[in-house]
This record gives sequence, structure tokens and C-alpha cells, in this order.
Amino acid sequence: MPLPPKRFDQAKPFLTLGFVVAGWLILPVVLKTFLRASFFEFQAPMSVAVSYARDLREYWSLRLHSNRELIEAGRDLGRLTASYELNVQENATLRAEIARLQDLLRLPTFAPFRAEHARVARRDFSGWWQQLVIRKGRNFNITVGAPVIFSGGLVGRIAEVHAYTSVVELISSPTLRVAGVVEGDIENRPISFQGGINPSFASPRGAIEFVPLDIYASPEVKRRLVTSGLGGVYPAGLTIGQIVKVDTSTDGLFKTGEVELDPRLSSLSEVTVLVPPEQE
Amino acid sequence: MLRCLLTFATLVLLWALAGQANHALASLQVYLFPGGLFVTFAALRLSSRGGLVVALLAGLLNDAATPLPFGTQMLLFAAACLVIQSVRDRLPHEAVFIQVVVALLANLALFVAFSLLRGHSVAGVAWARLGVDLLCSQAALLAIAPWFFALQTRTLQLLRPGFSAFD
Repeated sequence: MPLPPKRFDQAKPFLTLGFVVAGWLILPVVLKTFLRASFFEFQAPMSVAVSYARDLREYWSLRLHSNRELIEAGRDLGRLTASYELNVQENATLRAEIARLQDLLRLPTFAPFRAEHARVARRDFSGWWQQLVIRKGRNFNITVGAPVIFSGGLVGRIAEVHAYTSVVELISSPTLRVAGVVEGDIENRPISFQGGINPSFASPRGAIEFVPLDIYASPEVKRRLVTSGLGGVYPAGLTIGQIVKVDTSTDGLFKTGEVELDPRLSSLSEVTVLVPPEQE
Repeated sequence: MLRCLLTFATLVLLWALAGQANHALASLQVYLFPGGLFVTFAALRLSSRGGLVVALLAGLLNDAATPLPFGTQMLLFAAACLVIQSVRDRLPHEAVFIQVVVALLANLALFVAFSLLRGHSVAGVAWARLGVDLLCSQAALLAIAPWFFALQTRTLQLLRPGFSAFD
């Protein structure tokens, strides 16, 4: 009579799987959170160490540059600094003007974000999600939800903060939505942006919805999409991308379209986290 | 237990290497998914319990760094491990060729399961992207699997020079 034990043997792996699933489902959330944090902190030193090794490699490759190249780079940098100094002076004048008008009109004042620069330790760009791990975390008072930017505009937002690393969810990720406005739209009508169109060997793209019918864009005549500032998460005016296509939606009330994101998003090595003042 | 820990250590190395490869490939918008390699050796060469423990730990290791609900990959890896264990007696599982084929099949199954789980956010052009990622992942897996299985065998031979299969 060997049949019954054999049948049980055949079902044993699936029973085991059932036990594993049931055990996992009834495990308290606190334990799961602890496990996740433990595994992440276990991995973090590896990602960070490799990132430092990468920086060291870059440093040694830069050391190979000749003095002539360094002198030329210093000269270019000097010119750039001079033009930025001019912009800083203009900025100070404009800030004073804003403060005067806010005072005159009794408008609420907005405290500036604290800019925290951070190196990228790891890029994780799959078709399912797009995220970065940066080398600053709770040790620099980084907060969940803080916007992350680079010279080309918006990068994303902080999704998780760990002891000395943070995870940034990119605007090219399918799970991130941002409210934007088309640059030059006098009425500042909000548009919904969502990432997720990330073809291989090409720049990442995103989709837009609720575009007003009088907005036009094409690959030849691109329109810049910037953050609206609505909701208070992202400061207004940060570049999200360039609108390259708009079509009337099926209901005819709005348009939908595509936004071309900055190709540099996929090769970032340093970003800036804007830490909101009230969360510090 | 030491055998499980050593096997897990090799998987940590695989995780780190895959992470670096994906970091470098990010600018091309190509992603390598080595899921099959995380379960194949443990499922084929360790005891049933040891293999499952290693697959669970490998799943948690991968889960910690992803935005998926924690435990998703752990359960998928456990399922893959148990399915492989249920058929391993019928396979000449000490042959590297068989191990590589099992790893490729496991990788394909895990990739498809993963994509279906994330289906709510995947549409249109994203399926083409996933197709390219799958092709690249399978090619990369085919290239490194023999080396990686040899590394895992050699690591276990540190404990017992004559190691061939099972605890």
C-alpha cells in the first residue's frame, strides 16, 4: 500500500508553501518592518562602499589630467562663477522685492527649503520601478516626501529614509504622480503627470492627463512642463520635462499626452534634496 | 545551518554584483533580473529545509531594496524553490547543463510572475521594455550561471571537501 504516502509526498511542497504563506500573513507588521529595516541596513554598507570606491576611481582618473587641462578648467570655472555672482545679486534684489510686496499685500511668507547635496550610491531602473539610493539619510535629517532635484529639474521624492541612506522614487517611476503646469500658461491650470514610459535604449518618458484643450505641443514645438507648487510638496517652477505630444482624450473634455524627461536622469551621480523647513 | 549561511553569502555577492551591473546599465534603460540564480542551487543541491531557508532569506534580501510589498519576492522564491525541489529527483541535477536550464526556466517564471504582480502600472510600451529586460536577463544568466554554480559548489567544499549534494 505505498500509494497514500506517495500522494502525500507529492503534495508536501505545496503544503509547505501554504504554511509559509500563512505564516507570513499572520506575522505582525512590526516584525515585518523590523525585518525590512534590518535587511536594508545589512545591504547599505555594500552599496555605499562600492559608491565610495567608484568616487575614488573617478578621483584617480581625474588625477591623470594634465596641468594645462586643469588651468583651462579653472579659467572656465572662474567665468562661470562670475556670471553666477551676478545672478546671486539679481536674486537678492528680487527676494527683497518679493518680501516688500508680501509685506505690502499681507501675504503669507514661505520659508526656504534647506538644500542637502547627496551622492548617488545605487541606481535601480527596471520596467517595474525606478529609484536611486543616495548616501544621506537620518544622519542629515532627510525626511520622507522631500523633493529631490538636479540641474535639469525635478528628480523625484524621498520614498524611504534609513540610518545613512535614503531611497529616491524617480519621476520616471510608474507609481509617482506630480501636479504640473505648462510654462507660459497664464491661468496656471494644473495637469496630472505620471511616469512609467521607459523604453529600452531611449530617454524616459511620462504621461500627462487633464491637459486643457488650448494647449498644443509636438516634437517640433515642445512645451516645458514645470511643477505647479500645488499641495506644497514640490516648489513651483521646477522642470519636469518637455511635452512632445498632446491628443484629445476620448471624453473630449481634456487632452492627454507624453512628456520627454531629461535623459540625464538615468545617469545621475549627485542630486540635491530640498528638506522642508517645518520638518527639520 | 552553516551550509545555508555559506550559500546565502554567495547570494549576497550575487545581489551586490547584479546591483552594480544594473547601476551601470541604468543609462541604457536595461535591467538584469537574476531571480532564477537565487533559488536554483539551493533548491537542487541543499536539503529540502535548507534550500527553502536559503530561498526565503534571498527573497527578503531582494525585497528590502524594492518598493514592492515586503515579502513578495520571498514568497515567489519560496514557491520556485519548492517546485524545483518537487522535480529534482527526476533530474540529473548535478549536471551543470541541467542546473543552467532550471535556472533559466525559474528566471522566466519569476520574471513573468513579477510583471503580472506589477501589471497595474505596466501598459503599452512597458511590455516591450519588459521583453528586452527579460531577453537581456536570460542572456546574462546563461553567461554567468556556470561560474556562479561553480562558486557555490566551491564555497560549500570549504566545509566538506567531498561535497556533492544534499546535507
